Amino acid sequence: MIALIRLGFFGLIALTVLYFLVSWYSRSVRREKLEGWADEKIAEGALEPAARDTYIEEGMRDYDVSLRKKLILGVYVVPIIAVTVLIYMTNFM
Amino acid sequence: MRYVKWTFRLLVAIIVFSFLHYTLPQRDIVRIVNTYEERQDLNDWTRLFWSVPDDQSGTLSNRDVQFIQAVKSNGKTMVYRNEDTGWGWPPYFKFDTANLYTEANDAKSTKDAPEWYAITHYGWRNEFLSIFPNAVGLRPVDSPDARLVPWTNIIILGGLALFILFLWRLWAQFRERTIDPLLEDAEDTWDAVDERASKARGRFRGWLDSWRGKPRK
Repeated sequence: MIALIRLGFFGLIALTVLYFLVSWYSRSVRREKLEGWADEKIAEGALEPAARDTYIEEGMRDYDVSLRKKLILGVYVVPIIAVTVLIYMTNFM
Repeated sequence: MRYVKWTFRLLVAIIVFSFLHYTLPQRDIVRIVNTYEERQDLNDWTRLFWSVPDDQSGTLSNRDVQFIQAVKSNGKTMVYRNEDTGWGWPPYFKFDTANLYTEANDAKSTKDAPEWYAITHYGWRNEFLSIFPNAVGLRPVDSPDARLVPWTNIIILGGLALFILFLWRLWAQFRERTIDPLLEDAEDTWDAVDERASKARGRFRGWLDSWRGKPRK
């Protein structure tokens, strides 16, 4: 029982660290893309240079409510499913 | 210095390889000959090669362990231990030791009428340390040279490679977006300080020169 609690505790810590790393990375890549798109639009004349920051901030607000961001929660879900499948495969197959 | 670096790298590579080789599952095709149970002393450093199947077994100095004796098609012998890994390391989540023991007893065959089994295990056999690989599964195969695709290892090593790739991309992104701008900032600040310093030096020199009767610039 203690072993299971230990696994759960340290697993949760490790997955939380991973969650923050993945979400930082995903945000950073998204912001970089938005910067690129903004610069393209400015070059095409579709966006005022002064509106560049607003364009990026709006894009980040869209990202914050997007499905893509919620998918990062899979960091918690996938290992739990993997462990369940593994327990079944090792012991009952 | 180059030798030190390469020795260090080699050492890290050996440790990583040994760790994976010990932990990842492997399969042998064997004929199961017998099973036995033997009391094992567990109070020296080779303790780390034995399982901790339940909470109290971590503090025991000896306990009974089940073994499975097998012979490979080339006649070489192999002995596996049969222990729960429980929720501990390595993460096989094996709880069915007693069932596997029963299966192994059911799978016994003679030299004259051999039945071949693929036995999944992890760990090493070492005669000097008296350590045994831990059997985790058993299934019948048609012949001693049946072809087994190591899907589990492909998935695990693939996942590991993806994870390392992710860490590398993460570091590259962090450097590009966070460290480099900071360094640029620092460089700009430094340049500004430098400029101010040389201006001040110029003024100081001008003041000194004024004592020598030179005109101020």
